[in-house]
Amino acid sequence: MMALFVWIEQSALSVWVRESPSLLAFPFILFLHTLGLALLAGISVALDLWLLMGAARARRIATRGLFRAMWLGFAINALSGVVLLAAYPAKALTNWVFYTKMVLILLALLALEATRREVFDEARPGDTIVVTSRARALAIASLAFWAGTILTGRLLAYTYVILLASDPP
Amino acid sequence: MPALIEWIRHTPVSWFVLNYGWVWPISESVHFCGLTLMTGTVGLFDLRLLGVGRGISPRSLHRLLRFGVAGFALSVITGTLFIAGTPEQYFYNAAFKVKVTCLFLIGCNVILFYSLEFKRVAQLGPDDDAPLAAKWMAGASLVLLTCVMCAGRMLTFFRPPF
Repeated sequence: MMALFVWIEQSALSVWVRESPSLLAFPFILFLHTLGLALLAGISVALDLWLLMGAARARRIATRGLFRAMWLGFAINALSGVVLLAAYPAKALTNWVFYTKMVLILLALLALEATRREVFDEARPGDTIVVTSRARALAIASLAFWAGTILTGRLLAYTYVILLASDPP
Repeated sequence: MPALIEWIRHTPVSWFVLNYGWVWPISESVHFCGLTLMTGTVGLFDLRLLGVGRGISPRSLHRLLRFGVAGFALSVITGTLFIAGTPEQYFYNAAFKVKVTCLFLIGCNVILFYSLEFKRVAQLGPDDDAPLAAKWMAGASLVLLTCVMCAGRMLTFFRPPF
């Protein structure tokens, strides 16, 4: 496995992201990761709070645009995340916090999709939004999953054991 | 400035941040949760004014802004902890100055919005189009929030040498 990490670390992309002095390298990719977080988790959290606070009996709405914005955020984060992973593969992949973050993201996305089907699916009958107890539970779970994702994401910088496989401690 | 930095370095808050290893990472996590709350709720309101998510009354989304304010408060509190811990890393940092300037402009935009447009926006129905001036303010808010995130992320790379 370490040989694979070393191979990735020595790829042109990995070296460029890690060592380039350009602001378009590591700094800009980190910014993109934050922007994606704001789009995906930000809108998801706001919709969760809306469901918990004020959506009951609201008219059914076309949320396609909002979900598109969230999926754009996901695409930005998936791409920037892969590039950040390519820069420091051993740092993330030898740290259990990274896998916890991945599971939490998956759970948050599953909760988001379940919420879309439960509340916002345009094929559902009726003109008003019905916030069921399941929808409330999904919203609360989604808030917890996103908070966990952010927590584990930040802790990655503090909990790694190996920074570079090609330069072991 | 050096006197202010020296004073901050001798406050109990600075000591607290520097002497407990968990304070910085937990504060960073809370800072990002605050950022997500703020950009999510304020951004959703801005997007609605710009025409995305039509069908939701702006008044209904405006109720969420209290969470945005709470998120901003979390970010300010944790941001203050960072500055208390390493003040020289912020006061001599160009990205920090850009970030603070953008936050100031966001504040001006909020004052303008509530002074000039809020009454009209509050009366909008679920399908109504927002007034043009409110759209411009919503657009400015989104751009400035993005600039705050960008400048925040650049802080590390504009730090003065230790």
